[in-house]
Amino acid sequence: MRLELAEFPVSKIVLGKRFHYRSGTLEVDREALTQDLLKDSRIQDARVAVAYPGEKVRITGIRDVVEPRVKVEGKGQVFPGVLGPVASVGDGKTHRLSGMAVVTTAEFEGMVRAGTGVQRSGILDMWGPGAEISRYSSLVNLVLVLRLAHGLPDLEAHTAVQKAEFAVARRLAEATLGQEPRKVETYELKKKAGLPTVVLIQGCLTESHQFHSGVAYYGLSIRESLATFAHPNELFDGAVTVNTTRGIGYFPNSWDWQNHALVMGLYRQHATEINFAGVILERIRYETFHGKEVAAHGAAQLAQALGADGAVVTWLGSGNAFVDVMLTVRACERRGIKTVLVTYEYGGKDGIDSPLLYYVPEAQAVVSTGSRDRWVELPAPQSVIGPYEQIRVLSYPGAPLTPANGPLTFDAHDMLIGGVDNWGRQPWTCKAY
Amino acid sequence: MPVAIISAMYPVAEQVGASRIVKAVSIPHPCGDPGLPSEIDARVRREIVETALKAIHSEVKQPTLFYPNITVSA
Repeated sequence: MRLELAEFPVSKIVLGKRFHYRSGTLEVDREALTQDLLKDSRIQDARVAVAYPGEKVRITGIRDVVEPRVKVEGKGQVFPGVLGPVASVGDGKTHRLSGMAVVTTAEFEGMVRAGTGVQRSGILDMWGPGAEISRYSSLVNLVLVLRLAHGLPDLEAHTAVQKAEFAVARRLAEATLGQEPRKVETYELKKKAGLPTVVLIQGCLTESHQFHSGVAYYGLSIRESLATFAHPNELFDGAVTVNTTRGIGYFPNSWDWQNHALVMGLYRQHATEINFAGVILERIRYETFHGKEVAAHGAAQLAQALGADGAVVTWLGSGNAFVDVMLTVRACERRGIKTVLVTYEYGGKDGIDSPLLYYVPEAQAVVSTGSRDRWVELPAPQSVIGPYEQIRVLSYPGAPLTPANGPLTFDAHDMLIGGVDNWGRQPWTCKAY
Repeated sequence: MPVAIISAMYPVAEQVGASRIVKAVSIPHPCGDPGLPSEIDARVRREIVETALKAIHSEVKQPTLFYPNITVSA
């Protein structure tokens, strides 16, 4: 499997009368785009806006973030199993619009009223302390502002939002067809003799009993499956997607799967320092310790079958799923596979609480991507983009509303889209006191 | 006062130094198993609670695990 990613950088988006790309400027046919969105009867209102890094803009109601891409050679199409049939992707050539994202915001109430399936959305500040926290603030963002039909069930809402954002993303990338890219990167897992073999074990917290489990492979929710192999190139073509009704800081968005920081890092060292052997998707959050042990065993055994000398182990989500992650570290180490764990920390407001939920002595090498619990003070923006002028800081039904155009205080990074740096994309500094 | 904790994540309870730990069924259903017929589930529930009461009556010097005698579907 060999994929060429052709890069078309975007530094300016013009809302105009045609779809056109030229030397960093993307022109978007605003009328055609909104008309296309409104063809789905589940979407009652659709607007488009642009937000630049540094602008005193707050975006509300965020459900997902995605990078525009389109396949120009090879089997299948981007976002297989969602936009089109289940056709294997990761081979051939894909165009990408780098430096920008489609940020999809949507207003809807959903029918789930409480628990881990209740709809949530996040915010993004394009300037100030909020921007420093989130990786998405450095992108030029095309914001879709959607209002969904009243009384839509949650799965319908998810499908409407996801189809809309992916169709827009592909439509935008099509503006580059026939053009010469700024640069082309080639990705393949061809091994070089004499180098250690390394896999990425990606723990995926999924809620097996919800309408969407949280992480999907070729559009299929991963439920109580055992570990499976994914080629990293499949991620580049959008084979892994997310639940778009739950925009939360500690859940990676579609953009993160397309640009997985650890996959990119392992590829950078591939055939020079290591042989990158691929990604293991390990479902985590089993409800018994027994289940967690078996999931960990399965992932470690698969890593060994792939010839791994080392494994980078990481995860997404929160809570008891972290036990599965630690047990995976232990299972790998006991088989002689060296591990590095990449995780965010808790630690509380002052950083003095326990940083992790569970420990095993085999976890000797751990990279922290920063605290999720540090309090955040956000100043008032000059303007708000998005469907909500008031937001709920807490997610329970009937929680109080706070004006989005004022200053905000959060006791964790959960409400900020990109608020938790799950896979270590950003530079962080650690200070010891 | 003697305390027993019923926990599906009993190794976590052990790690934080809980004194008496009773192994539970699963995270969403610590004290029962809705996957079983209700009369069997009732037996499972009773056994877990009785194990917890036995744990409270036991002298312990370190985190100690108590296993209810049950077979569960989870």
